[in-house]
Amino acid sequence: MEVGLTHYLLLAAAVFLVGMVGFIVRRNTLIMLMCVELMLSAANLVFVAFSRELGDEAGHVFVLMNFAVAAAEVAIGLAILMEIFRRRRSVDADDLNTLME
Amino acid sequence: MEGFLFYLGGAMMLLGGVAMVASRSAVSAACWLVLSFLGSAALFAALQAPFLAVLQILVYAGAIMVLFLFVIMMLEGPVMPAEAGRPKFWIPAGALVPAAIILVATARWVPGAGLPGFPGDLPPGFGQPVRVAQLLLGEYLLAFELISIVLVVAIIGALALGSNERTLPWK
Repeated sequence: MEVGLTHYLLLAAAVFLVGMVGFIVRRNTLIMLMCVELMLSAANLVFVAFSRELGDEAGHVFVLMNFAVAAAEVAIGLAILMEIFRRRRSVDADDLNTLME
Repeated sequence: MEGFLFYLGGAMMLLGGVAMVASRSAVSAACWLVLSFLGSAALFAALQAPFLAVLQILVYAGAIMVLFLFVIMMLEGPVMPAEAGRPKFWIPAGALVPAAIILVATARWVPGAGLPGFPGDLPPGFGQPVRVAQLLLGEYLLAFELISIVLVVAIIGALALGSNERTLPWK
């Protein structure tokens, strides 16, 4: 059983879908942030798989950039989350509806 | 060997993701996400990217998840009460269904009926830190410098958001 590019692309699509569905379904902002991380991870997998297919390390460099973006996103997201929790005593996305009213 | 690593890492990544979406507490969700990242590192290793596999464990499973757990710890008190009253079964179900559809669609091809594998001929030293660093500090130097600006902006933003209000210069 030989594993090729298609296997990796399908796996990445499945992982991305799990993250996307989780982001839509869950209302806890902490877990929504983790779902974003999962989706970024699936994108990284596609980069590395194509890098392997084409024999070119450019994909590895893109993944390194993605690491930095993910770290920045987590730092900012968690800082916002803590500020929200300090004011509202809740991290539930359904409670954050003041702009709607 | 690569096939075995693919199925092991893929199973870890999918299982960790689904369990993360379905878990009731934030701490166990973070732990499941670590499993998912470890599977991702195994997949990188299978794809001849040893440098990225090590970085995935160091940066993602190490630094980023410690940040998550640290924040969960700092948000003292019940973090997850709001979802308690909602129906439980459809959260894991909703996460599983799309993944299951894709996997069932894959299963037809998994025995290798006509799907090509990866090409066997790779440049010597493919994915080693030396070659990645030469690209990063050569052809992609501009992107490398720009990403450092992104990180600095993120640090300043996190500091401004996290600091006490009275110490901010514009308050």
